[in-house]
This record gives sequence, C-alpha cells and structure tokens, in this order.
Amino acid sequence: MMGPVLGQAAVPRDIGVFEFLFGSEYWTGPGGILASLWDTLVMCSAVMAVATIIAVPLATVLAHHGRGELSITWVVTLSRAVPTFAVAGLLVPISLRRGWGFEPWPIFIALLLLALPPIYLNTYTGVRGIDRGVIDAARGMGLSERSVLLNVELALATSVMLAGIRVAAVQVVATEPIRAFLGGDGLGRYVRDGLGQNNDNLLLAGAILVAGLAALTGTIFGLMRRLLPPGVRRLA
Amino acid sequence: MTPVAQATNPIIRWEWIIDEWDQIREALVQHLELTVLSVALGVVVAAVLSAVALRFRFMVSPITGFTGFLYTIPSVALFGLLVPYFGLSRLTAVLPLAAYTLLILVTNTVAGFNAVPESVRDAAKGMGLTPVRRVVEVELPLALPYIIAGLRIAVVSTAGLVTVAAIIGQGGLGALILDGLQRTFWTPMTIGASLSILLALVLDGAIYALGRWATPWTRRAKAS
Repeated sequence: MMGPVLGQAAVPRDIGVFEFLFGSEYWTGPGGILASLWDTLVMCSAVMAVATIIAVPLATVLAHHGRGELSITWVVTLSRAVPTFAVAGLLVPISLRRGWGFEPWPIFIALLLLALPPIYLNTYTGVRGIDRGVIDAARGMGLSERSVLLNVELALATSVMLAGIRVAAVQVVATEPIRAFLGGDGLGRYVRDGLGQNNDNLLLAGAILVAGLAALTGTIFGLMRRLLPPGVRRLA
Repeated sequence: MTPVAQATNPIIRWEWIIDEWDQIREALVQHLELTVLSVALGVVVAAVLSAVALRFRFMVSPITGFTGFLYTIPSVALFGLLVPYFGLSRLTAVLPLAAYTLLILVTNTVAGFNAVPESVRDAAKGMGLTPVRRVVEVELPLALPYIIAGLRIAVVSTAGLVTVAAIIGQGGLGALILDGLQRTFWTPMTIGASLSILLALVLDGAIYALGRWATPWTRRAKAS
C-alpha cells in the first residue's frame, strides 16, 4: 500500500526513518522536504522580522524615557503563556470568513504574539540595565538625544537584545509546525501525515526534522553573538 | 466547502452550545485533567531535581541545562517522538507536558531556597531544629512565593499546550478546535479556543489566590 505522493515519489507504507530522511526523491519536488523547509523558513523569517521591527524600537524608546516599567511584569507572564494553538484556532474562522484563507494570517499573528514578548523584554531590560554614568557621560560629551538612544543605549543593549531574539526565534521555529494541523503545510506536515496514516516511521522522521530545525536555529542565533565586537560582547 | 457556505457559516452558533453541552463539558474536564496530571507530575520531578541541585551545588548547571534543553524541543516533535513507543495514549500527552514545566519550576524553586537569608537558617539551627524540620518548617515557607510564581506560569503554559495534545487524540478543548477545522464548522473551534484561554486565566487566578492564602505574611510585610 502506498501513501500519498510527497516529493517526487509516493511514500511507501513500510518506509524506514533513514530511508525517508536520506532518500533524495523525498527531498525535491512539491511537498518534498526542501519545499516544506522553505515554507517554514519563510513563515518564521517573516514573523521574526515583523516582531523585531515592532518590539525593538518600542522597547528602546520606552526604556529610554523610563516609561512602561509596569508592562514588564505583564510581558514576563505573557511570554510563557501564549496559547498559540488556541489563538490561531480563533483566528482561522475569522480569516476564512473574510476570504483570506487558512494561511498565512492566523498562524502568522499567533506566532507574532509568541515572538514579541522575549524580544521586547530583553531589549527593555538591556537598555534599562545600562550604567546611568555611561549615559550621563554620553550626554556630557554633547551627543544628541537621538545619538544617545541609537549609539549608546541600543548599542550597549545589543547583546541582551540578541539573546531575546534567539529565544523568540527558537520558540517560533518550535511552534510553527502546528500550522500543519491548522490547514497549512510547512515542516510539520510529515508529523501530521505520519499520525494520519498511522505511519510511525514517517512520524519519527518528521519529528526529527522539526526538532533538528529548532536545535539548529538555537545554535545559529547563539553563534551570531560572536559576530559582535568584543567590547559589546563582554557586557552581557 | 464552497466560499458561499463559509460566508454564511457564523463564527459562533449559540444553539450549538446548548445542544452539544455534554461534549463541551467532557472536553473541558479532559483538558483540566490533562493539565492537572501534567503539572502534578512536573511538580514531583521538579521537587526531586531541585532537592538534588540544592544539596549538590555542582548539579545546578547540568540540571538547568537539561531542563532548558527539554523546553526547547518542539511540542509537535516531542508528541511525535513518543507516539511510536507509547501509542496514542494519555502518557504520550502527559510526559512532554510535564517535561515542559520542569525548567520554570526548578529555576524558581532553586531561586526561592537560595533567597532564604543566612541569618534565618542560622537561627533555625540555633533553635535546635532537625535538618528536616529546618527545611520543611522554615526554608520551604520562605521559598513558597517563588515556587508559587513558577507554578502559575507552569499551569498557564500547560493549559495552553494541552490544546496541542489533541493532535494525538487525547481530547480536551483542542479536539473541539480540530473538529471544527475538519468540518469547517466554526462554533466548536471558537468555543474550544476561547474556553482554553479562559481556563488558563481561571487556573492562574486560583493558584494566585492559593498562594496568598498560603503565605499571609507576604501581604502583611507589604502593608507595613
């Protein structure tokens, strides 16, 4: 008995985990691993880009003016409690009724809510944690307020901010696979298909792919820190 | 489903809630059971891990490293990895959910015990309390606010994650979401999603209240 066509070949019922992961015919073509990986990466990159564009300026400006201290307590709680599946589940009917389809908006917004808190939190605490003396010195040297914000506060908070972006990225990549259960595709599809077809090896291979990408994301963002100038890196 | 049918299919059809009340209640109970079971297992394991970490200092970083590693494994992948071994069973749902609570519970428990002032420890020792009584009667109550704070986050995030357990057929409110999705009938989806969020908030409030009741001195300290 053959499963549905994934990639360029049908997935046989009795496929081995490694046979699937190392079979080039499953990597290429529509529904293949490469196409699914690309799907997932596009979604996650878009979420991360928008989350960073919203959270970093907001947190920097609020922290610069010493406002929104109270928001931190809320954000800390939120950051570990966003029920992504439920949020996306609420948004799917709304999106469909408006004719926007299953994808990408519901899952995009749900993932965005997941990514915003860690980035906001780390940027805010990073900026607030800078020694007041450094900022006073920068002002005393005649730097404009704008320059203090961008060249001193944001620059010195970079390392802490990157740590927040890393946490957000890992969570987004780790959560994106639920999209396959909400009418979409992406790398989670093999887990879904493995469950649906009662095919344990396809399921295992899918789980390995999903977990592998999350681990890889954490490693890559961890390495990004090394690209920072040594002086900035030491501050974290 | 044609687009026309979708457009006429309302987000919520109130009479469905009355007709299918039994189904909703069953999902809610399953959801609650899964949440409580997972957090309870998490608390037991976290207590052991925290005790080891507090007794043997060199174990702190391996234990936090391990629980942190568990936390980063995607839920879909972890459920998927366990299905071939434990089948579509409740255990397959509870093990990952409990594993995800460990990081926050261990971190907060260790922080709570570390925050006990040295003078208090010395005083308890000076009063001649046995080591067991020192931990249970003096250190544990003082660490409790930290532990409760961790427990709140663990419960809220678990209640949210239980919806994902529906993909391995363990029911709960996530099953309503999946059911609505498959039938493109939005009422169960809306109900399942909003009830799971509501349940998380109620549980959070309940543990907050429990914490206030269990540590009355923290209120008094703030008032004075």
